[in-house]
Amino acid sequence: MPRRVTYEVGLIGHEEAKQGVEGTEQSLTVEVEDGDATPWARDTKFAYVGTDVTRLDGAVKATGAAKYTYDIQPQGLCFAGLVYAPHAHADVVSVDVAAAKALPGVLAVRSFAAATATYPGKIVAAVCAESETVLSDALAAVRVVYAVKPGPAVTEDAMRAGAPVVDPRRQTNVSGPRRGPTMRGKPDDALAAADVAVSATYRTPVQTHSCLEPHGCMCHVHEDGTATVWASTQATAFFANGRFTRALGVPRNKVRVITHHMGGGFGSKFSADEWDVLCAEFAQETKRPVRMLLDRRMEHLVGGNRPDSIQEMALAGTKDGIFQVLKGQTWGTSGNSSGGGAGAANFMVYDLPNLSMTQHGVATFSAKGRAFRAPRHPQGFFALESIIDAYAYKAGIDALAVRMKNDKHPIRQAQWRIGAERIGWTKHRHAVPGSDKGTIKRGTGCAAGRWAQAGRHMVGRSPLVFEFVVDKDGGVAVQNAVQDIGTGTRTLIAVLAAEELGLKPHDIDVRIGDTRYPPGPGSGGSTTAPSIGAAVRNGALRVKESLGGLLALQWGVDEAQLTWKGAVCHGPGDEKATFAKACALLGEDGLRVRGSRRRNFDAAYRETAGCQFARVAVDTETGVIEVEKVVAVHDCGVIVDSLTARSQVNGGVIQGISYALFEEKRTDRSLGDMVNPTFDTYRIMGIEDCPEIDVVLTSVVSGYSNTGMMGLGEPATVPTAGAVANAVYNAIGVQVTELPMTPARVLEALERRQK
Amino acid sequence: MKAFRFVRPSNGREAADLLASTKNALVHAGGVDLLDRMKERVDEPDVLVSLCDAKGLDQIRVEEDGGIWIGARVTLAQLADEATCRRFLPTLSEAAGLAASPQLRHRATVGGNLAQHTRCGYYRHASFPCLKRGGDSCPVRAEGGVQDTAGIFGNRDCASAHPSSLAPVFGSLDAEIVVRDAKGERLVPFAGFWANPAKGRASDTRLRPGEVIEGVRIPPRDTKQFVGYAEIRQKKAFDWALVSCAVRYETDGEKVTSASVWFGSLAPVPMRSVAAEEALVGTVCSDKSAAEAGARTMASATPLAGSKYKVALGKVALKRALAAARERA
Ligand SMILES: Cc1cc2nc3c(=O)[nH]c(=O)nc-3n(C[C@H](O)[C@H](O)[C@H](O)COP(=O)(O)OP(=O)(O)OC[C@H]3O[C@@H](n4cnc5c(N)ncnc54)[C@H](O)[C@@H]3O)c2cc1C
Ligand code: SF4
Repeated sequence: MPRRVTYEVGLIGHEEAKQGVEGTEQSLTVEVEDGDATPWARDTKFAYVGTDVTRLDGAVKATGAAKYTYDIQPQGLCFAGLVYAPHAHADVVSVDVAAAKALPGVLAVRSFAAATATYPGKIVAAVCAESETVLSDALAAVRVVYAVKPGPAVTEDAMRAGAPVVDPRRQTNVSGPRRGPTMRGKPDDALAAADVAVSATYRTPVQTHSCLEPHGCMCHVHEDGTATVWASTQATAFFANGRFTRALGVPRNKVRVITHHMGGGFGSKFSADEWDVLCAEFAQETKRPVRMLLDRRMEHLVGGNRPDSIQEMALAGTKDGIFQVLKGQTWGTSGNSSGGGAGAANFMVYDLPNLSMTQHGVATFSAKGRAFRAPRHPQGFFALESIIDAYAYKAGIDALAVRMKNDKHPIRQAQWRIGAERIGWTKHRHAVPGSDKGTIKRGTGCAAGRWAQAGRHMVGRSPLVFEFVVDKDGGVAVQNAVQDIGTGTRTLIAVLAAEELGLKPHDIDVRIGDTRYPPGPGSGGSTTAPSIGAAVRNGALRVKESLGGLLALQWGVDEAQLTWKGAVCHGPGDEKATFAKACALLGEDGLRVRGSRRRNFDAAYRETAGCQFARVAVDTETGVIEVEKVVAVHDCGVIVDSLTARSQVNGGVIQGISYALFEEKRTDRSLGDMVNPTFDTYRIMGIEDCPEIDVVLTSVVSGYSNTGMMGLGEPATVPTAGAVANAVYNAIGVQVTELPMTPARVLEALERRQK
Repeated sequence: MKAFRFVRPSNGREAADLLASTKNALVHAGGVDLLDRMKERVDEPDVLVSLCDAKGLDQIRVEEDGGIWIGARVTLAQLADEATCRRFLPTLSEAAGLAASPQLRHRATVGGNLAQHTRCGYYRHASFPCLKRGGDSCPVRAEGGVQDTAGIFGNRDCASAHPSSLAPVFGSLDAEIVVRDAKGERLVPFAGFWANPAKGRASDTRLRPGEVIEGVRIPPRDTKQFVGYAEIRQKKAFDWALVSCAVRYETDGEKVTSASVWFGSLAPVPMRSVAAEEALVGTVCSDKSAAEAGARTMASATPLAGSKYKVALGKVALKRALAAARERA
């Protein structure tokens, strides 16, 4: 029988920031199913949740003992690699693999001669060899003849009338517009009638995922007909798909996928890719363990990227700063797909009574984009937040005040105050942009962020369950196939299990990243933590129930009369037993129970809020920007481990600054190939360029599940580029409308201002 | 990477002998530049003659006449940290300390820094056409080329920009390169060390096969020198300077009597600006004379559309190098 629970949800603490803001605290009534733990409320007292707990795998990562896919090198390991096209568009006339095949040590070769190559990085041949040296020689010995054809590789060229089309069934590379849900009111009338209107065109680059650990896997087919696959994947549960297992020649139930540690995915590693299937084929063919990892160039070419964007925007409102209309058109390329995922989330967060946003996808002769940390958001928020600053200056109103007037999210209202205080908004923000004296000009800016992921109760079509294994010595292991992609999933599970059982997080043995355990969700969309959290609690609850059953039997009392306080179980009289004592009642086989994730409740807080403030110093003679400080205020529902949560925000801010200032896939527009596919030419922000990052976490009981957790990985990178851009605008008095804000672009903007 | 043989001579002379007697051999020092090229198979040597065990080449010492000798295997970290260099060659120390990244500076050597090949992305990947690698023309100059790191001088055939930020400092100090081959040692004046790009000419130096750099010598000076260095870089570490500039001048107590001005990253080889030197001589060094010297330098620049911003950066680098020289005095 579901039980009805009424409890207090909303923002925990931060009393000063909450003052006078309506809705930061609420009372919520939910129907809690049997087997689901009673939801944590705003005033729940925790032992570990919300505190700083160091990573369970911190030591092995720091010492190098942690094993990544590359590190797994069984006896007889063979090496596979790829030959790929360097052209945007070409017919593959012939692929001559004879010389490669003839090399001693080459075990297997594949070629794909009949193909047309429609992007740089398109695979034309693959080789498997006994050593990396032989592999390298064999790859170099493959002779490919291409007939190169014209094919625009960048968005603007592909948009031109008469440009060669990627999809021969279509007349043009431009698809859309997709209008539907992003149209309301009477935008044109509102624009014409508004007191203050601004318009501008913003551009963002193609950003590559640049995972430190490349894509790929190591396949080992064993003599008994089973197989182990070590994969760099964000979803162990979905990696071994039909195509992959067929290539491997092993039925799915006999394939074990392992991802104990993972060096970055950011949305680009959700299933077995083409090269993984080739690796599986080689493993089957050679009957030896085979490893295939992409090289760095391939990582940049096909390992995933964030679509670029061109965003024509117009914003108008009243003279006292109330938005009336946002109108815009956007274009972006998601490579040679029909344009999906190329939109820009540039209309969310603020109240906009009139809205028209038409978004176009542009097909180009380049590899497909992939989901990338907060798809559509960093680009959209850069443009949205930039045009808000332009509007605020024109209206002569403080840009923060404008945001607060148009933003209805109660948590973000509190966050704006917190951030403004910590960056010193009133002291540092120039009312007149560019009014700082001297060559080095400083400026302060801010931007909003959002996300809305509360996790799910299913993994594909399977229920999401966590298994607890308890032994008679009191040892607790928690098992699920979910992978820790570096975010701290392992630690988070330990904190939740320890909290519920009254144990210490570091004493919990967390066994994850292995498909021999119950299926775990993919690590994407910032859904992992909120999905698994509630299941871990429920599993721990089952453990207490089972142990309680044994104690009740021993004490001769009714189970319903037991209460747990931390790790101690109390009977109705003065009976009591510690967790360890209770475990001692178990047999040699210990205890094995499962807790499952239940459906989300109808929550009180459906979107997480966030905002960031940046202070920059711009050298107006050289155009070099230095970000000096970022204040990042974020909500992710209930914070479980504030260390790993802060770490997520640090990472999001760093990636966001990197996007704002450095990263850009550069493509030769005639040759169609990327000219900077290495880490010394594709600039990524390094530690010396890192500003002081002040992370403020606002823990909010969302009401979605028994933990109240929500996701954080993605929202943390949403506002950064916009905040930095607005700080630059505030410093130099002119907008740099294109990312990354390179010295050349900053100088160009300054020149424009002088004219 | 193609398999290769790795030999480790114990001094410069042995290295030169080995180079003379081995076919398709290259000198290896820190390997920072060379191994990248080999991984991309832009270079496929059969043998690497490594200086890693070569004695004496890792030292910086003051010679009897007061000149300073820097071994080819001295690392950038040594230049940045060692007292001799900091005291007598402050601009070199400064440039070295800003270059690359801490890890790279411990690996990268002076010889390798001078002999490193261009970082042009087209040059460094075999699938691109490139004049320097024997192609018919330079794609960077062509329509659609990516030009943001391109040079703005001497770019008629090849638009590469010399990556070394130590080179302009060495130039400004009138360094001599100590080159050895199997027959012996010779001193090459800095300006004569460089070779302009040409079809099929990969190296930017006049080093011939069989020659090895043993060291760099900085001549002594008996009059007061004003030295300054400035560079502009987008990213503080793990990146190259967009422009670098080193200056040295003397005065009669007031006016500049002689000057030496060198730039990095503006042309395919390190670039001396005689126009700037002439503009400075006879003036009291100031931001104003610096601006004039910068304007005269840039009057003959031939930037590509994508590298125009380097004109402004070059002027600023010169102004700041001169200001640094005045401040240091
Ligand atoms: C990310 C990054 C950033 C960088 N930033 C900077 C920077 O800011 N400023 C800067 O100046 N440099 C920079 N560099 C370049 C770096 O300093 C050089 O690559 C390095 O100095 C090369 O030295 P090495 O000893 O590793 O040379 P190697 O790679 O061993 O050799 C380089 C070349 O020189 C030849 N060679 C080496 N030693 C000798 C010798 N004694 N005689 C004859 N030929 C020789 C080799 O045959 C080879 O062709 C950067 C490099 C990287 C990767
Ligand atoms: S700039 Fe020089 S090195 Fe680069 S592609 Fe052109 S010719 Fe080759």
